Amino acid sequence: MEALLDYAWLVVVLPLASAVAITAFGKNLPWKGSELGIASLAISWVLSVLIAYQTFIMSPMEEPVEFSYEWAPMGSEFVFELGMLVDGLTAVMLLLVTTVSLMVHIYSREYMHGEKRFTYFFAMLSLFTFSMLLLVIANNLVQAVVGWELVGVCSYLLIGFYWEEKSNQDAANKAFLTTKFADIGLIVGVVVLSAGMFGLDTSTPFNIREINAAATAGELSTTTVVLGMLMIFLGCMAKSGQMPLHVWLPDAMAGPTPVSALIHAATMVTAGVFVLARLFPVLAQSLVVMNVIAVVGVITLFFGGLLALVQDDIKKVLAYSTVSQLGYMVAAIGVGGYTASVFHLFTHGFFKALLFLGAGSLIHAVHSNNMSDMGGMAKAMPYTFVTFIIGTLALAGFPLTAGFFSKDEILIAGEIWAGAGFATGHLVYWVGIAAAFVTTFYMARACFLIFAGESRSHHPPHESGKQMVGPLVVLAVLSIASGYIFSPVWTAEQNFETWTETEFITEETVYPFAADADDAAEDQGEAVGTPGGIQGDGVLAAGSEPSVLAAAEDGELTVLHGAPTWHFDLLALLLVVFFAAVGVAWKFYGKGPPDRDPTMQMGRVTTVLVNKYGFDEFGYRFIVVPVRDTMSRAASYSSNVLIDGAVSGVGRMTKNAAFATYRVLDQKVIDGGVNGAAFSAAWWSERLKRTQSGNVQRYAAALVAGTIVLVVAFAAAT
Amino acid sequence: MDPNTAGWALVVALFLPLVGAGALALMPASMDREIRRAAVVITAIAFALVSAIALSFDYGRSGELQFTTDASWITAINARFTLGMDGISLPLFWLTYLLPLLCAIYTTKHLPAPGKPKAFLGLMLLLQTGMAGTFVAFDLPLFFIFFELTLVPMFFLIGMWGGPRREYASIKFFLYTFFGSVFMLVAFLAIYFTSGAETWNIQQLSEMAPFGSATFQTWAFLGVFLGFAIKVPMWPFHTWLPDAHTEAPTIGSVLLAGVLLKMGTYGFIRIGLPILPDGALRFAPVIGVLAVIGIIYGSLCCLAQTDVKRLIAFSSVGHMGFVMLGIAAMNEAGIQAALFGNIAHGVITGMLFFLAGSLHERYHTREIAVIGGGMLTKIPKYAVMFAFVAIASLGLPGLAGFWGEFGAMWAAISPGLGLADTYGGLYLALVILAALGTVLTAAYFLWLMQRINLGNPLERWADEPLEDVQAIEWVAWTPLVVLVLALGVYPRLVFGVQNDAVVNLMGYLGG
Repeated sequence: MEALLDYAWLVVVLPLASAVAITAFGKNLPWKGSELGIASLAISWVLSVLIAYQTFIMSPMEEPVEFSYEWAPMGSEFVFELGMLVDGLTAVMLLLVTTVSLMVHIYSREYMHGEKRFTYFFAMLSLFTFSMLLLVIANNLVQAVVGWELVGVCSYLLIGFYWEEKSNQDAANKAFLTTKFADIGLIVGVVVLSAGMFGLDTSTPFNIREINAAATAGELSTTTVVLGMLMIFLGCMAKSGQMPLHVWLPDAMAGPTPVSALIHAATMVTAGVFVLARLFPVLAQSLVVMNVIAVVGVITLFFGGLLALVQDDIKKVLAYSTVSQLGYMVAAIGVGGYTASVFHLFTHGFFKALLFLGAGSLIHAVHSNNMSDMGGMAKAMPYTFVTFIIGTLALAGFPLTAGFFSKDEILIAGEIWAGAGFATGHLVYWVGIAAAFVTTFYMARACFLIFAGESRSHHPPHESGKQMVGPLVVLAVLSIASGYIFSPVWTAEQNFETWTETEFITEETVYPFAADADDAAEDQGEAVGTPGGIQGDGVLAAGSEPSVLAAAEDGELTVLHGAPTWHFDLLALLLVVFFAAVGVAWKFYGKGPPDRDPTMQMGRVTTVLVNKYGFDEFGYRFIVVPVRDTMSRAASYSSNVLIDGAVSGVGRMTKNAAFATYRVLDQKVIDGGVNGAAFSAAWWSERLKRTQSGNVQRYAAALVAGTIVLVVAFAAAT
Repeated sequence: MDPNTAGWALVVALFLPLVGAGALALMPASMDREIRRAAVVITAIAFALVSAIALSFDYGRSGELQFTTDASWITAINARFTLGMDGISLPLFWLTYLLPLLCAIYTTKHLPAPGKPKAFLGLMLLLQTGMAGTFVAFDLPLFFIFFELTLVPMFFLIGMWGGPRREYASIKFFLYTFFGSVFMLVAFLAIYFTSGAETWNIQQLSEMAPFGSATFQTWAFLGVFLGFAIKVPMWPFHTWLPDAHTEAPTIGSVLLAGVLLKMGTYGFIRIGLPILPDGALRFAPVIGVLAVIGIIYGSLCCLAQTDVKRLIAFSSVGHMGFVMLGIAAMNEAGIQAALFGNIAHGVITGMLFFLAGSLHERYHTREIAVIGGGMLTKIPKYAVMFAFVAIASLGLPGLAGFWGEFGAMWAAISPGLGLADTYGGLYLALVILAALGTVLTAAYFLWLMQRINLGNPLERWADEPLEDVQAIEWVAWTPLVVLVLALGVYPRLVFGVQNDAVVNLMGYLGG
């Protein structure tokens, strides 16, 4: 079985093969190419399950399976690699991506039935899946960048799937350009990290394991760590919808709903979180980086969730909820909740895909995205109803659903972090609980509006067919079951934490700024020689508050928190929050939609939320318009008029000088002679004047004059 | 062929197009179709020969010159006829034989007014010899002659077969680039006399370098810089390029973007850096700054263009900026990236100019607003191909454009030869701004595609029978599309060939 891990690349290659085959001859097949996508994903899924099983029983893996091939030599010292790295984290991602992708492939057969670009759609789904897998299996950051950009372009193509509509085109452009803007950070961050590896006797400065090893050994300078990781985090912010770079994600709902489920809920948007998890050993070297990540995550999880309150479009509600949940994952990374973040990424993938596919089923039935056109759907669509409720409970973190286990894990991570004296831990814990109220409220609102009361649809709703309901049921089961992989039912030796351990994140791994804080303080920011220490100046000292030192004295703050245990106090608190939120929602929406939706009656708050905090407006008015309309025209004007004008001016001046030379020097001084320097200038001027008009003479004369000037200059210089 | 002894093969390949031009000249002008076919045959034979050379090239020794010829030529000035090829020359040389073949194939069906295939193809073949010679000449006077030889045919190609402002554009092209060449020639003379070795041989001069005083290095590099920077073109010497491209016939634009511009960057790498290392080092930050200005500025200009072809022309300014950024990094990775970017830009932008030409033949306009969208509905295959190449041009990984850009930014983060110590901060800023340039590049291409590809066709085109990709276009374009993909997926194809030669070259600089 262990040998199986060597073939993990098959999981990645199969969807690529399917994308190519669908493009080549998909149209001629009986199922229009969808059978190829489903078949390849099914095989990939089986392989992923086996790989996950194998990695988990071997866990904690001391030596991950790594294989690479030299993609390109870059001079005598370095190479680019193409390779794979299989450890617990990879296995979890493979499992998530192939499962959701397989479900979405199956679901889309019915959902996209009759579309004129049906085959193209399946080719793109497979290509996207390949790109995402290429990213998660990458053993080096160049390959990760390749996968990252490829998922971006697939997302662009699929958001703009209905490209006849201008609004869809705009949404696609916005998504691509917002993420591309943040990719400045990703690319700069990646090259900064790799530059930190120069001189460390490696030919593969992008290798993820080597970078992690160098970071934990304290061989990367503080500048490298802080600049590199903050830059990479900028890239992650747009990809994973962190405020204020989340603005593209709600607009991306213009794409077909299965795309929203796969790309904009379960997989691509988690790429940023995945990269942060991959490089956790690096970012854990700097408290500054972790604080920034935590604060951005907290802002996103709360304010992103609020935006869902005022939406009528069910997909927009879910999109903002995705933003908010991604905020939880990012915040978890910032408070040392590595396992919690990955765990939430995993469970969220299932229940959010479920919710989106459920929404798709509803939209399919009523031909509208708006909840105001739904109502009373529970009777007409029992399977969709039950599975959607399960997804909602998971999202709201109702006890014993998957979302409960994973979200609680994040809050506990915050609590532990707070206990070690870091203020961001309190922030994550309390804002996280507050946001849980918001989440529960807007989801309860959505459920009441959709399922309760009388039908407001113009089309008599009907349950979807088996190919759509099947994936809903599977995902509903997973939305509950996936939580138990990290519930207290597991042993201390075997649980989600041990499964996602990597060679650098083990029980012994400590935070250098906590554990070595004493030494660092003594050395006043000098390089700390001990493993796990951090080199460089300033930054560390600035981050080492006295409370940290106090915490460090109590004992080392380890990265992993140990086997899961019950936290009944938090469970009780969250139950209260849950029922309070549902109760409030019931009061307003339980008996059908209110005439005046209370979320729209909050005065200025509503205005702010409806305007999406003004980010979109700001971006359009102060970035898009100035660049597209003002700066571009200024540049073009300066090129055509100023720079080219200078070129012409030089020519004109030289021409005048040449004519003057001809008239004064040649005709008068040399008196009729046509020799000397003026000969060529005047002769050319005359000839070219006759044959051509305008600039000719200027340039000809410029040439001659330039030569003269140069010869003189060189004569003077030597 | 034995790469050590078969110098004749290179000579034959080099002058075959010239001989072909002579052969065409002998054919009666009335044999219109035969002339076009003959040009295809000539370029195909030349391409086959060069492919054979590439196959028998010893890749294990790609750092050394192969297929060398060294004969005495103009003894009075010690100029010799020295040809050779290493891993740096090979990809560019091969591209110089691929593109004219595709152009000849394309010309069998498409030739702009006033026709005259004999003159048109003859000039193209003459141009081919000039361009090819530049990449294999290893003696400065010989290099200079090939370098300048390209001006005349391109001047006529633009001036006779160009658009409405062809005369202005062709003369501007000629004089501007010739203006730069004058400085280059003076610098060559200065190099010859300062070295005191009585040789023009590029390799020998590289081995001797550095020589001369600091003043000499600065002034001589300035001369070389002007010659090559105008050719590339670097900001702010770029203003001849949009005019030349806008007016040039399709074939002219393809060859101009595909090969001609590369002579500038090649010159920097082959001559400027190794022979004048101190001057190059002093100029490197300046080159870096101008390169990044070019990236940002070129991309901004693209956003303002209303003519598809002019937009693509300005995009060259940005893309060549990345190539120059790689050179400014002054390390092995940077040169690797610059040379890769050269090839990638030649393939991608060459293809884009083919597409722009065909766009004009279909719509009889290149104005974005007049075309007004809906190509995906109207001519779907053409539109998909356009989208593919545009996405390649914006640097999507997996396609050719990515490696040059990413490599240049990576190389520039830690510039070589001690530049990192003095200019580390500057170069970091350059990398960030260059990355910003990739965003602007994506922006103008996506916007372009939105305005011509997507949406529904305008009413005026709705009933117009527009032809989708024709058979002859498939033949001419497929090799380029395949290359765009192959270079992206398997970058070793170029990086691997160049690597040893780049290492050798940087050895001259002591870095």
